[in-house]
Amino acid sequence: MPAQTIWMIRLSLVYLLISVLLGGLIITHKAVDLHPMIWSLLPVHFELAIWGWLVQFVMGTAYWMFPKKLTAKRRGPAAPAWAMVVLFNFGLILLVAGPFISSLPQSSLIGRLCIGLSILLFALLMWSRITTYRK
Amino acid sequence: MPKVTRWFIKAGIIYFIVGVILALISEFPAINAGPLLLPVYWHMLVIGWLTQIIMGVSIWMFPRKHRDRKKRESTLTWLTFWTLNSGLTLRFLSEPFLPVVQDSFLMNVAILFSSLLQISGIIFYIMEIWPRLQPRKKRKRSRS
Repeated sequence: MPAQTIWMIRLSLVYLLISVLLGGLIITHKAVDLHPMIWSLLPVHFELAIWGWLVQFVMGTAYWMFPKKLTAKRRGPAAPAWAMVVLFNFGLILLVAGPFISSLPQSSLIGRLCIGLSILLFALLMWSRITTYRK
Repeated sequence: MPKVTRWFIKAGIIYFIVGVILALISEFPAINAGPLLLPVYWHMLVIGWLTQIIMGVSIWMFPRKHRDRKKRESTLTWLTFWTLNSGLTLRFLSEPFLPVVQDSFLMNVAILFSSLLQISGIIFYIMEIWPRLQPRKKRKRSRS
């Protein structure tokens, strides 16, 4: 299992746990009033579940399991793969934490841009691996 | 395919079907249940279906840390299945009725308990999968 996959899947598990904990807090607040601020955590709950958990887990697993090239660097160059991991997680953190930090007004936009770039890198890395060994 | 994986996938398919049916029901203006069913079908699709498929397949496909162990299904995987599914079922049976039954002690306990069960399920899954995430070289060394 490549290091990039290990990092992506471990981070996705961390995001899943945070998202479920926030979800538990939100549903408890629906039953018993805890604090009015809790509703503001709803976007964090679903962004972490969709992007942090589902999308990142699938990307990490695909990077590991898809057919490898028959050259020395079997999964392609390592640097863009690391950039994919870093950009995705930096973007996600900006996306979910930004609205709570008033000094970062453009955080959502920059966060989504970073995630978009990461997905573009993923597509570039994976494109040639969407193949068969049978000719 | 291990038995626990089959259970995860079959449970996932059931949630998928029920989730889609609920989404369809919520489209009927006469029933007027859209806002009540919205969180239910979203969680049926994201946790009940997608997350359970991922869990089942990863338990099956991800390399086990100790391949020499005959038992392919650890206690943790079954704990994940039962806590997550009982938590989800309890949630789906109680959450839509929250606005109808206000300040019911029983309902509040059900919601809290369902939440704790779901969180436990996720923690058990992480405990199962986390040690499997290691480079091939390290895995080979730990086996020898």
